[in-house]
Amino acid sequence: MRTLYYLFQTAVKNFWHEKLINALTVLTVALGLMILGAFTLITLNMDLSLRQWAKGFGLIVYLKDNMTLEDVELLKEYFKKDKDIIEVNYISKDEALKELKQTLGAANPILGGFEENPLPSSFELRLERRALEPLRIKQKAEHIRQIAWVEDVQYGEKWLSSLNSLSKGINVIAIILGSVIFIATAFVTYSTIKILFYRRAEEIETLKLLGATRSFIMLPFLIEGLFIGILGGIIGLFTLQGIYMFATSKIIEFLPSIKGATTSFPFTAYLLPPFTGALMSLIGSIFAVGRIRY
Amino acid sequence: MIQLSNVSKYFDNEYVLKDITFLIDKGALVYITGPSGAGKTTLLRLIYMAERPDEGNIIVAGWDIGKLSRNSIPFLRRSIGVVFQDFRLLQNITIFDNVALALRVQGGRPKDIKETVSGLLSDIGLKYKANDFPQHLSGGQQQMAAIARAVVSKPMLLIADEPTGNLDPDASANIMKLFREINLRGTTVVIATHHRELFRDTGKRVIYLENGRIGKDTIG
Repeated sequence: MRTLYYLFQTAVKNFWHEKLINALTVLTVALGLMILGAFTLITLNMDLSLRQWAKGFGLIVYLKDNMTLEDVELLKEYFKKDKDIIEVNYISKDEALKELKQTLGAANPILGGFEENPLPSSFELRLERRALEPLRIKQKAEHIRQIAWVEDVQYGEKWLSSLNSLSKGINVIAIILGSVIFIATAFVTYSTIKILFYRRAEEIETLKLLGATRSFIMLPFLIEGLFIGILGGIIGLFTLQGIYMFATSKIIEFLPSIKGATTSFPFTAYLLPPFTGALMSLIGSIFAVGRIRY
Repeated sequence: MIQLSNVSKYFDNEYVLKDITFLIDKGALVYITGPSGAGKTTLLRLIYMAERPDEGNIIVAGWDIGKLSRNSIPFLRRSIGVVFQDFRLLQNITIFDNVALALRVQGGRPKDIKETVSGLLSDIGLKYKANDFPQHLSGGQQQMAAIARAVVSKPMLLIADEPTGNLDPDASANIMKLFREINLRGTTVVIATHHRELFRDTGKRVIYLENGRIGKDTIG
């Protein structure tokens, strides 16, 4: 334990001794993690938007006119048993007309032209978030269309497809960018620790002659790498938080309707940059120090 | 303490040491001498395992070097103190910390380290320099500190490679006196030097190396 404490002290001293190169590395790591964090936030916001939108998304199942109330109940039970459907609302012909009148105004001349109620009865089906895959919805709509009482099924097919593609695209970019930044962070720390390792080559030789074990020699470098990663993560995090708060407040100022669709700075975002920075810098440092040979 | 049997070492297919055989007893003070390039430094490097022999067998402090795993090397080195011509003190830490380093690598307790290092620095007259950095000390003082670092953990064997090479005659005399004192306390001391006046009339064993072979093994 006391050796560990001594090595930690050594790492702090060494870190301070090489403050310029370490500061530059910390800032580079901070920048990388900030970009990574920004993409994570964009992905989270995109997901939140999808969730918000999904709440209002549903299938509208138009029914044929000759259905009895018993048929309607049977069909309702059938929909309720479907695990993808979270809410089933029946809208009778009369209710549909009432809604239309409310929308258009009771005195609208269009409505006066009909002798009978022209609107069909329908079911509004709200779906689970996981079911909002374009292909899955399409299959479900086709399946429902096969039911004898069903006249037609409608949903925002193109919208859903576009939004889904956008979401997937951003996820792919986030994964690629994330991987690149992961590797870049490790490489930046690797380079710095390698330089520091070479600069201290004589010191390492002396330590070897004094009987220092591999871990005794390696640990200060690994701790130094961890400092770089964690500090880079913390700086990246708070810079990102500042930019995010400023940006969202400005966006909401111009587009107040977007307010519900933006996430507050999530808790995971507080942990992600320092943790990622620490992990990648540690990996970079391990590779930089390599195998110490006697 | 040190036993070499038919030891040879080659660099680029040319031998640097050839067929070296000798035995150094525990508690001895032995000089290894010879002209530049005779193989003195390589011989010492073989003893403290900075090099491995290409042929032959070496036993140091009971450790058979040929059978020693690389993981065990640090533990062998803890029984050997090494002193160099260029001191090799770490420039970014104080004299106290330089000396203490040998105990810290062995996981010594801070209180014990403080006591031992302070006592040793007092013994060699460097207590007042304990908090100075090496570059603020004279060459002789730096070599004193380097020797203190080499012996602070009470090794069985002390090896010195041209320890007076960078020092003036007075400083050299002090350093050699220190080696003799260390030897009197029971530590085996092996000193490589090409300065004949250092071992002349000492009555100590001198091994002469010539072109990588033992030319003479005599008393100085």
